Amino acid sequence: MKEMLIYAFGKPHGIVLFQLLEATQFTIALTAIAFIGGGFLGALIALMNVSPNRIFKQISTAHMWLFQATPLLMMLFIFGLGIPRLFKLDINPWLAASFALILYTSAYLADVWRGAIRSIPVGQWECSKAIGLNFFKTMRLVIMPQAIRISVAPTVGFLVQIIKATSLAYIIGFHDLMSIGKRWANSPVTGTEPFVIFPIMALIYFFLCFPLSILSRRIEKKFDTEKRPKTASA
Amino acid sequence: MEFRFFEIYRSEEYLALLAEGIATSAILTIAAGFFGIIIATFLALSRFWHIPIIAYISACFVEFFRNTPLIVQLFFFAFGLPMLIGYEWHFWQHALLALTLNFAAYFAEILRSGFSSVSSQQKEAAASLGLPKGLAFRKIIFPQAIASSFFSLNSQFVFLFLTTGIISEIGVRDLTYAGLFIDSRTFRSFEVFLTLTVLYILIAISFKAVLTWVYKKTFPWRAFI
Repeated sequence: MKEMLIYAFGKPHGIVLFQLLEATQFTIALTAIAFIGGGFLGALIALMNVSPNRIFKQISTAHMWLFQATPLLMMLFIFGLGIPRLFKLDINPWLAASFALILYTSAYLADVWRGAIRSIPVGQWECSKAIGLNFFKTMRLVIMPQAIRISVAPTVGFLVQIIKATSLAYIIGFHDLMSIGKRWANSPVTGTEPFVIFPIMALIYFFLCFPLSILSRRIEKKFDTEKRPKTASA
Repeated sequence: MEFRFFEIYRSEEYLALLAEGIATSAILTIAAGFFGIIIATFLALSRFWHIPIIAYISACFVEFFRNTPLIVQLFFFAFGLPMLIGYEWHFWQHALLALTLNFAAYFAEILRSGFSSVSSQQKEAAASLGLPKGLAFRKIIFPQAIASSFFSLNSQFVFLFLTTGIISEIGVRDLTYAGLFIDSRTFRSFEVFLTLTVLYILIAISFKAVLTWVYKKTFPWRAFI
Protein backbone atom coordinates (compact mmCIF):
# COMPACT_ATOMS: atom_id res chain seq x y z
CA MET A 1 0.00 0.00 0.00
CA LYS A 2 2.81 2.37 0.95
CA GLU A 3 4.70 1.68 -2.30
CA MET A 4 1.50 2.08 -4.27
CA LEU A 5 0.78 5.50 -2.77
CA ILE A 6 4.38 6.66 -3.25
CA TYR A 7 4.20 5.47 -6.85
CA ALA A 8 0.94 7.32 -7.41
CA PHE A 9 1.66 10.59 -5.61
CA GLY A 10 5.45 10.94 -5.56
CA LYS A 11 7.85 11.07 -2.66
CA PRO A 12 6.60 13.41 0.06
CA HIS A 13 2.90 13.15 -0.74
CA GLY A 14 2.67 9.38 -0.96
CA ILE A 15 4.37 8.92 2.42
CA VAL A 16 2.22 11.61 4.06
CA LEU A 17 -0.96 10.10 2.66
CA PHE A 18 0.09 6.64 3.81
CA GLN A 19 0.81 7.86 7.33
CA LEU A 20 -2.49 9.74 7.50
CA LEU A 21 -4.45 6.69 6.36
CA GLU A 22 -2.49 4.49 8.76
CA ALA A 23 -3.31 6.87 11.62
CA THR A 24 -6.98 6.81 10.63
CA GLN A 25 -7.23 3.26 11.97
CA PHE A 26 -6.56 4.60 15.47
CA THR A 27 -9.32 7.14 15.00
CA ILE A 28 -11.64 4.30 13.99
CA ALA A 29 -10.46 2.11 16.88
CA LEU A 30 -11.07 4.86 19.43
CA THR A 31 -14.50 5.50 17.91
CA ALA A 32 -15.32 1.80 18.22
CA ILE A 33 -14.19 1.73 21.87
CA ALA A 34 -16.22 4.83 22.68
CA PHE A 35 -19.29 3.54 20.86
CA ILE A 36 -19.25 0.03 22.34
CA GLY A 37 -18.29 1.12 25.85
CA GLY A 38 -20.57 4.12 25.76
CA GLY A 39 -23.31 1.97 24.29
CA PHE A 40 -23.22 -0.51 27.17
CA LEU A 41 -23.02 2.20 29.81
CA GLY A 42 -25.65 4.27 28.00
CA ALA A 43 -28.03 1.30 27.78
CA LEU A 44 -27.63 0.74 31.51
CA ILE A 45 -28.28 4.42 32.23
CA ALA A 46 -31.32 4.50 29.93
CA LEU A 47 -32.69 1.37 31.59
CA MET A 48 -32.15 2.89 35.02
CA ASN A 49 -33.95 6.00 33.88
CA VAL A 50 -37.13 4.21 32.81
CA SER A 51 -37.10 1.77 35.73
CA PRO A 52 -39.66 2.31 38.49
CA ASN A 53 -36.91 2.76 41.10
CA ARG A 54 -36.63 6.41 42.14
CA ILE A 55 -32.97 6.34 43.21
CA PHE A 56 -31.93 4.73 39.91
CA LYS A 57 -33.90 7.39 38.13
CA GLN A 58 -32.14 10.22 39.93
CA ILE A 59 -28.67 8.72 39.46
CA SER A 60 -29.23 8.24 35.74
CA THR A 61 -30.67 11.73 35.29
CA ALA A 62 -27.67 13.19 37.09
CA HIS A 63 -25.28 11.16 34.93
CA MET A 64 -26.90 12.33 31.69
CA TRP A 65 -27.03 15.93 32.81
CA LEU A 66 -23.46 16.07 34.13
CA PHE A 67 -21.70 14.42 31.21
CA GLN A 68 -23.69 16.30 28.60
CA ALA A 69 -22.88 19.60 30.27
CA THR A 70 -19.18 18.91 30.76
CA PRO A 71 -17.07 19.90 27.76
CA LEU A 72 -15.32 16.84 26.30
CA LEU A 73 -12.07 18.77 26.34
CA MET A 74 -12.30 19.15 30.13
CA MET A 75 -13.02 15.44 30.55
CA LEU A 76 -9.94 14.66 28.47
CA PHE A 77 -7.83 17.01 30.56
CA ILE A 78 -9.15 15.58 33.82
CA PHE A 79 -8.53 11.97 32.78
CA GLY A 80 -5.33 12.66 30.88
CA LEU A 81 -3.64 15.24 33.13
CA GLY A 82 -5.64 15.79 36.29
CA ILE A 83 -6.09 12.28 37.66
CA PRO A 84 -2.55 11.10 36.78
CA ARG A 85 -1.07 14.07 38.62
CA LEU A 86 -3.45 13.93 41.57
CA PHE A 87 -2.89 10.21 42.24
CA LYS A 88 0.68 10.10 40.92
CA LEU A 89 -0.36 7.54 38.36
CA ASP A 90 0.85 6.89 34.85
CA ILE A 91 -2.23 6.73 32.67
CA ASN A 92 -1.84 5.66 29.08
CA PRO A 93 -3.44 8.13 26.57
CA TRP A 94 -5.47 5.23 25.17
CA LEU A 95 -7.02 4.63 28.57
CA ALA A 96 -7.62 8.29 29.36
CA ALA A 97 -9.15 9.03 25.95
CA SER A 98 -11.31 5.90 26.17
CA PHE A 99 -12.64 6.81 29.61
CA ALA A 100 -13.47 10.38 28.61
CA LEU A 101 -15.14 9.36 25.35
CA ILE A 102 -17.07 6.48 26.92
CA LEU A 103 -18.57 8.81 29.54
CA TYR A 104 -19.32 11.43 26.89
CA THR A 105 -20.93 8.90 24.55
CA SER A 106 -22.90 7.17 27.29
CA ALA A 107 -24.58 10.39 28.36
CA TYR A 108 -25.81 11.24 24.85
CA LEU A 109 -26.76 7.71 23.82
CA ALA A 110 -28.63 7.19 27.09
CA ASP A 111 -30.59 10.36 26.37
CA VAL A 112 -31.45 9.21 22.84
CA TRP A 113 -32.52 5.75 24.00
CA ARG A 114 -34.43 7.03 26.97
CA GLY A 115 -36.32 9.33 24.61
CA ALA A 116 -37.09 6.39 22.33
CA ILE A 117 -38.38 4.29 25.23
CA ARG A 118 -40.40 7.21 26.61
CA SER A 119 -42.04 7.78 23.22
CA ILE A 120 -43.77 4.39 23.45
CA PRO A 121 -47.31 5.12 24.68
CA VAL A 122 -47.98 4.51 28.38
CA GLY A 123 -50.86 2.23 27.38
CA GLN A 124 -48.31 -0.38 26.28
CA TRP A 125 -46.84 -0.48 29.76
CA GLU A 126 -50.25 -0.69 31.36
CA CYS A 127 -51.35 -3.53 29.06
CA SER A 128 -48.18 -5.46 29.83
CA LYS A 129 -48.77 -5.02 33.52
CA ALA A 130 -52.38 -6.16 33.08
CA ILE A 131 -51.31 -9.42 31.46
CA GLY A 132 -48.80 -10.00 34.25
CA LEU A 133 -45.42 -9.15 32.68
CA ASN A 134 -42.72 -7.80 35.00
CA PHE A 135 -40.43 -4.84 34.18
CA PHE A 136 -37.77 -6.83 32.33
CA LYS A 137 -40.23 -8.92 30.37
CA THR A 138 -42.20 -5.82 29.36
CA MET A 139 -38.94 -4.22 28.28
CA ARG A 140 -37.75 -7.20 26.26
CA LEU A 141 -41.00 -8.30 24.64
CA VAL A 142 -43.03 -5.13 24.25
CA ILE A 143 -41.05 -1.92 24.55
CA MET A 144 -37.65 -2.76 23.03
CA PRO A 145 -38.87 -4.05 19.65
CA GLN A 146 -40.64 -0.73 19.12
CA ALA A 147 -38.07 1.56 20.73
CA ILE A 148 -35.13 0.13 18.78
CA ARG A 149 -36.74 1.05 15.47
CA ILE A 150 -37.07 4.63 16.62
CA SER A 151 -33.56 4.91 17.99
CA VAL A 152 -31.52 3.40 15.15
CA ALA A 153 -31.33 6.59 13.08
CA PRO A 154 -30.22 8.97 15.87
CA THR A 155 -27.76 6.34 17.14
CA VAL A 156 -26.09 6.06 13.75
CA GLY A 157 -26.14 9.86 13.54
CA PHE A 158 -24.38 10.09 16.86
CA LEU A 159 -21.55 7.89 15.53
CA VAL A 160 -20.61 10.88 13.36
CA GLN A 161 -20.39 12.95 16.50
CA ILE A 162 -18.09 10.39 18.14
CA ILE A 163 -15.75 10.27 15.14
CA LYS A 164 -15.44 14.06 15.24
CA ALA A 165 -15.00 14.02 19.00
CA THR A 166 -12.04 11.60 18.81
CA SER A 167 -10.10 14.33 17.00
CA LEU A 168 -9.67 16.06 20.37
CA ALA A 169 -7.81 13.12 21.91
CA TYR A 170 -4.51 14.26 20.39
CA ILE A 171 -4.45 16.94 23.10
CA ILE A 172 -3.52 14.38 25.75
CA GLY A 173 -1.00 12.66 23.51
CA PHE A 174 -3.18 10.14 21.70
CA HIS A 175 -1.82 9.24 18.27
CA ASP A 176 -4.50 9.41 15.64
CA LEU A 177 -5.22 11.09 12.33
CA MET A 178 -5.30 14.49 14.00
CA SER A 179 -1.92 14.25 15.73
CA ILE A 180 -0.09 12.82 12.69
CA GLY A 181 -1.64 15.44 10.43
CA LYS A 182 -0.72 18.24 12.79
CA ARG A 183 2.85 16.99 12.98
CA TRP A 184 3.14 17.01 9.19
CA ALA A 185 1.55 20.45 8.94
CA ASN A 186 4.16 21.81 11.36
CA SER A 187 7.06 20.14 9.54
CA PRO A 188 9.15 22.24 7.16
CA VAL A 189 8.84 19.69 4.33
CA THR A 190 7.56 21.32 1.13
CA GLY A 191 4.28 19.85 -0.02
CA THR A 192 2.99 19.38 3.53
CA GLU A 193 2.00 22.98 4.22
CA PRO A 194 -1.03 23.51 6.48
CA PHE A 195 -3.22 24.44 3.52
CA VAL A 196 -2.50 21.04 1.95
CA ILE A 197 -2.60 18.82 5.02
CA PHE A 198 -5.69 20.16 6.77
CA PRO A 199 -7.98 19.88 3.73
CA ILE A 200 -6.73 16.30 3.20
CA MET A 201 -7.49 15.51 6.84
CA ALA A 202 -10.88 17.16 6.52
CA LEU A 203 -11.56 14.97 3.49
CA ILE A 204 -10.59 11.80 5.37
CA TYR A 205 -12.87 12.73 8.25
CA PHE A 206 -15.57 13.65 5.77
CA PHE A 207 -15.40 10.26 4.07
CA LEU A 208 -15.70 8.57 7.46
CA CYS A 209 -18.63 10.71 8.62
CA PHE A 210 -20.68 11.53 5.54
CA PRO A 211 -21.73 7.95 4.66
CA LEU A 212 -22.95 7.54 8.23
CA SER A 213 -24.91 10.79 8.02
CA ILE A 214 -26.55 9.58 4.81
CA LEU A 215 -27.25 6.17 6.34
CA SER A 216 -28.83 7.80 9.37
CA ARG A 217 -31.11 9.89 7.19
CA ARG A 218 -32.06 6.86 5.06
CA ILE A 219 -33.00 4.83 8.12
CA GLU A 220 -34.97 7.74 9.50
CA LYS A 221 -36.92 8.03 6.28
CA LYS A 222 -37.46 4.28 6.10
CA PHE A 223 -38.91 3.98 9.58
CA ASP A 224 -40.57 7.37 9.16
CA THR A 225 -40.68 8.00 12.86
CA GLU A 226 -42.50 11.14 13.81
CA LYS A 227 -41.84 10.75 17.52
CA ARG A 228 -38.08 10.78 17.17
CA PRO A 229 -36.32 11.67 20.43
CA LYS A 230 -35.00 15.20 20.24
CA THR A 231 -31.50 15.88 21.54
CA ALA A 232 -28.72 18.17 20.45
CA SER A 233 -27.11 16.37 17.57
CA ALA A 234 -24.06 17.66 15.87
CA MET B 1 -3.22 12.77 46.93
CA GLU B 2 -4.28 16.13 48.23
CA PHE B 3 -6.59 18.81 46.97
CA ARG B 4 -5.00 22.23 46.98
CA PHE B 5 -7.50 24.58 45.46
CA PHE B 6 -6.06 27.62 47.19
CA GLU B 7 -3.05 27.59 44.90
CA ILE B 8 -5.35 28.73 42.14
CA TYR B 9 -7.42 31.21 44.09
CA ARG B 10 -4.85 32.99 46.20
CA SER B 11 -3.15 34.48 43.15
CA GLU B 12 -4.66 37.68 41.81
CA GLU B 13 -3.01 37.01 38.48
CA TYR B 14 -4.75 33.67 38.02
CA LEU B 15 -8.13 35.06 38.97
CA ALA B 16 -7.72 37.90 36.48
CA LEU B 17 -6.71 35.39 33.82
CA LEU B 18 -9.77 33.26 34.52
CA ALA B 19 -12.04 36.33 34.35
CA GLU B 20 -10.47 37.36 31.05
CA GLY B 21 -10.90 33.82 29.80
CA ILE B 22 -14.58 33.75 30.71
CA ALA B 23 -15.15 37.06 28.93
CA THR B 24 -13.25 35.96 25.81
CA SER B 25 -15.02 32.60 25.58
CA ALA B 26 -18.45 34.09 26.14
CA ILE B 27 -18.03 37.05 23.77
CA LEU B 28 -16.53 34.99 20.95
CA THR B 29 -19.31 32.43 21.28
CA ILE B 30 -22.01 35.09 21.27
CA ALA B 31 -20.44 36.83 18.27
CA ALA B 32 -20.10 33.54 16.40
CA GLY B 33 -23.69 32.67 17.27
CA PHE B 34 -24.91 36.07 16.06
CA PHE B 35 -23.08 36.00 12.72
CA GLY B 36 -23.74 32.28 12.43
CA ILE B 37 -27.50 32.64 12.66
CA ILE B 38 -27.48 35.37 9.98
CA ILE B 39 -25.47 33.22 7.57
CA ALA B 40 -27.57 30.20 8.51
CA THR B 41 -30.76 32.03 7.61
CA PHE B 42 -29.47 32.67 4.09
CA LEU B 43 -28.25 29.10 3.75
CA ALA B 44 -31.55 27.68 4.95
CA LEU B 45 -33.63 30.04 2.79
CA SER B 46 -31.69 29.21 -0.36
CA ARG B 47 -32.56 25.56 0.20
CA PHE B 48 -36.13 26.28 1.29
CA TRP B 49 -36.79 28.31 -1.86
CA HIS B 50 -34.81 25.89 -4.07
CA ILE B 51 -32.71 28.65 -5.64
CA PRO B 52 -30.94 26.69 -8.39
CA ILE B 53 -27.15 26.70 -7.92
CA ILE B 54 -27.00 28.46 -4.56
CA ALA B 55 -29.13 25.82 -2.86
CA TYR B 56 -26.70 23.16 -4.01
CA ILE B 57 -23.68 25.14 -2.81
CA SER B 58 -25.23 25.77 0.57
CA ALA B 59 -26.11 22.07 0.92
CA CYS B 60 -22.46 21.19 0.22
CA PHE B 61 -21.29 23.81 2.72
CA VAL B 62 -23.58 22.51 5.44
CA GLU B 63 -22.71 18.85 4.85
CA PHE B 64 -18.99 19.56 4.75
CA PHE B 65 -18.92 21.56 7.96
CA ARG B 66 -21.20 19.16 9.80
CA ASN B 67 -19.13 16.12 8.85
CA THR B 68 -15.65 17.33 9.73
CA PRO B 69 -14.26 18.11 13.18
CA LEU B 70 -14.23 21.73 14.31
CA ILE B 71 -10.57 21.48 15.19
CA VAL B 72 -9.56 20.64 11.61
CA GLN B 73 -11.60 23.60 10.34
CA LEU B 74 -10.03 25.81 12.97
CA PHE B 75 -6.48 24.81 12.07
CA PHE B 76 -7.23 25.30 8.40
CA PHE B 77 -8.57 28.82 8.95
CA ALA B 78 -5.82 29.73 11.40
CA PHE B 79 -2.77 28.25 9.65
CA GLY B 80 -3.72 27.08 6.17
CA LEU B 81 -5.75 29.91 4.73
CA PRO B 82 -3.41 32.75 5.84
CA MET B 83 -0.53 31.06 3.96
CA LEU B 84 -2.69 30.47 0.95
CA ILE B 85 -4.00 33.99 0.41
CA GLY B 86 -1.43 35.92 2.40
CA TYR B 87 -3.34 37.74 5.11
CA GLU B 88 -2.55 37.92 8.79
CA TRP B 89 -5.15 38.48 11.46
CA HIS B 90 -5.26 38.19 15.21
CA PHE B 91 -5.76 34.69 16.62
CA TRP B 92 -9.21 35.57 17.83
CA GLN B 93 -10.27 36.71 14.37
CA HIS B 94 -9.30 33.36 12.86
CA ALA B 95 -11.14 31.64 15.69
CA LEU B 96 -14.21 33.80 15.14
CA LEU B 97 -14.23 33.02 11.41
CA ALA B 98 -13.99 29.27 12.00
CA LEU B 99 -16.58 29.28 14.78
CA THR B 100 -19.00 31.43 12.77
CA LEU B 101 -18.93 29.13 9.75
CA ASN B 102 -19.19 26.07 11.98
CA PHE B 103 -22.16 27.49 13.91
CA ALA B 104 -23.79 28.59 10.66
CA ALA B 105 -23.73 25.06 9.25
CA TYR B 106 -25.42 23.56 12.31
CA PHE B 107 -27.97 26.35 12.62
CA ALA B 108 -28.80 26.15 8.91
CA GLU B 109 -29.80 22.50 9.22
CA ILE B 110 -32.11 23.28 12.15
CA LEU B 111 -33.62 26.34 10.43
CA ARG B 112 -34.25 24.38 7.25
CA SER B 113 -36.37 21.86 9.08
CA GLY B 114 -38.02 24.77 10.91
CA PHE B 115 -39.02 26.38 7.61
CA SER B 116 -40.35 23.14 6.18
CA SER B 117 -42.27 22.44 9.39
CA VAL B 118 -44.54 25.47 8.84
CA SER B 119 -47.74 24.03 7.47
CA SER B 120 -48.53 24.86 3.84
CA GLN B 121 -52.06 25.80 4.91
CA GLN B 122 -50.56 28.87 6.55
CA LYS B 123 -49.20 29.95 3.20
CA GLU B 124 -52.53 29.27 1.48
CA ALA B 125 -54.43 31.15 4.16
CA ALA B 126 -52.11 34.15 3.74
CA ALA B 127 -52.58 34.04 -0.04
CA SER B 128 -56.35 33.87 0.30
CA LEU B 129 -56.24 36.99 2.48
CA GLY B 130 -54.48 38.75 -0.39
CA LEU B 131 -51.10 39.14 1.29
CA PRO B 132 -48.24 39.53 -1.19
CA LYS B 133 -45.70 36.68 -1.07
CA GLY B 134 -42.95 38.74 0.55
CA LEU B 135 -45.21 40.07 3.28
CA ALA B 136 -46.69 36.62 3.91
CA PHE B 137 -43.20 35.23 4.32
CA ARG B 138 -42.11 38.02 6.64
CA LYS B 139 -45.20 38.05 8.83
CA ILE B 140 -46.49 34.47 8.68
CA ILE B 141 -43.86 31.89 7.70
CA PHE B 142 -40.67 33.35 9.15
CA PRO B 143 -41.83 34.00 12.74
CA GLN B 144 -43.37 30.53 13.01
CA ALA B 145 -40.26 28.86 11.61
CA ILE B 146 -38.03 30.68 14.09
CA ALA B 147 -40.40 29.95 16.96
CA SER B 148 -40.57 26.24 16.18
CA SER B 149 -36.80 25.87 15.81
CA PHE B 150 -35.85 28.14 18.69
CA PHE B 151 -35.61 25.35 21.24
CA SER B 152 -33.29 23.26 19.04
CA LEU B 153 -31.22 26.33 18.19
CA ASN B 154 -30.86 27.06 21.88
CA SER B 155 -29.62 23.54 22.70
CA GLN B 156 -27.34 23.53 19.70
CA PHE B 157 -25.85 26.88 20.67
CA VAL B 158 -25.08 25.66 24.18
CA PHE B 159 -23.70 22.41 22.79
CA LEU B 160 -21.43 24.34 20.41
CA PHE B 161 -20.32 26.64 23.21
CA LEU B 162 -19.03 23.59 25.07
CA THR B 163 -16.81 22.73 22.09
CA THR B 164 -15.22 26.18 21.78
CA GLY B 165 -12.47 25.34 24.28
CA ILE B 166 -10.24 24.18 21.44
CA ILE B 167 -9.73 27.72 20.16
CA SER B 168 -7.08 27.89 22.88
CA GLU B 169 -5.07 25.55 20.63
CA ILE B 170 -4.41 28.38 18.18
CA GLY B 171 -3.48 30.80 20.96
CA VAL B 172 -6.76 32.57 21.72
CA ARG B 173 -6.74 33.56 25.40
CA ASP B 174 -10.05 31.93 26.26
CA LEU B 175 -11.09 30.04 29.38
CA THR B 176 -9.27 26.82 28.43
CA TYR B 177 -6.14 28.83 27.66
CA ALA B 178 -6.29 30.38 31.13
CA GLY B 179 -6.69 26.91 32.62
CA LEU B 180 -3.74 25.50 30.70
CA PHE B 181 -1.61 28.47 31.73
CA ILE B 182 -2.43 28.08 35.42
CA ASP B 183 -1.90 24.35 35.12
CA SER B 184 1.55 24.86 33.63
CA ARG B 185 2.49 27.10 36.57
CA THR B 186 0.99 25.19 39.48
CA PHE B 187 0.77 21.58 38.24
CA ARG B 188 -2.56 21.30 40.08
CA SER B 189 -4.20 19.91 36.93
CA PHE B 190 -7.11 18.18 38.60
CA GLU B 191 -8.21 21.23 40.56
CA VAL B 192 -7.69 23.57 37.62
CA PHE B 193 -9.74 21.54 35.18
CA LEU B 194 -12.42 20.81 37.74
CA THR B 195 -12.74 24.58 38.27
CA LEU B 196 -12.88 25.10 34.52
CA THR B 197 -15.56 22.45 34.13
CA VAL B 198 -17.72 24.18 36.73
CA LEU B 199 -17.18 27.54 35.03
CA TYR B 200 -18.09 26.12 31.62
CA ILE B 201 -21.24 24.53 33.01
CA LEU B 202 -22.24 27.80 34.73
CA ILE B 203 -21.78 29.81 31.53
CA ALA B 204 -23.73 27.19 29.57
CA ILE B 205 -26.59 27.33 32.08
CA SER B 206 -26.69 31.13 31.91
CA PHE B 207 -26.75 31.08 28.11
CA LYS B 208 -29.63 28.64 28.17
CA ALA B 209 -31.53 30.66 30.77
CA VAL B 210 -31.10 33.95 28.91
CA LEU B 211 -32.15 32.44 25.59
CA THR B 212 -35.19 30.81 27.17
CA TRP B 213 -36.14 34.19 28.60
CA VAL B 214 -35.71 35.78 25.16
CA TYR B 215 -37.91 33.06 23.69
CA LYS B 216 -40.68 33.74 26.18
CA LYS B 217 -40.48 37.50 25.52
CA THR B 218 -40.31 37.20 21.73
CA PHE B 219 -42.90 34.53 21.16
CA PRO B 220 -45.34 35.01 24.05
CA TRP B 221 -48.06 33.11 22.17
CA ARG B 222 -45.98 29.91 22.25
CA ALA B 223 -44.20 30.37 25.53
CA PHE B 224 -46.34 28.16 27.71
CA ILE B 225 -47.51 25.52 25.29
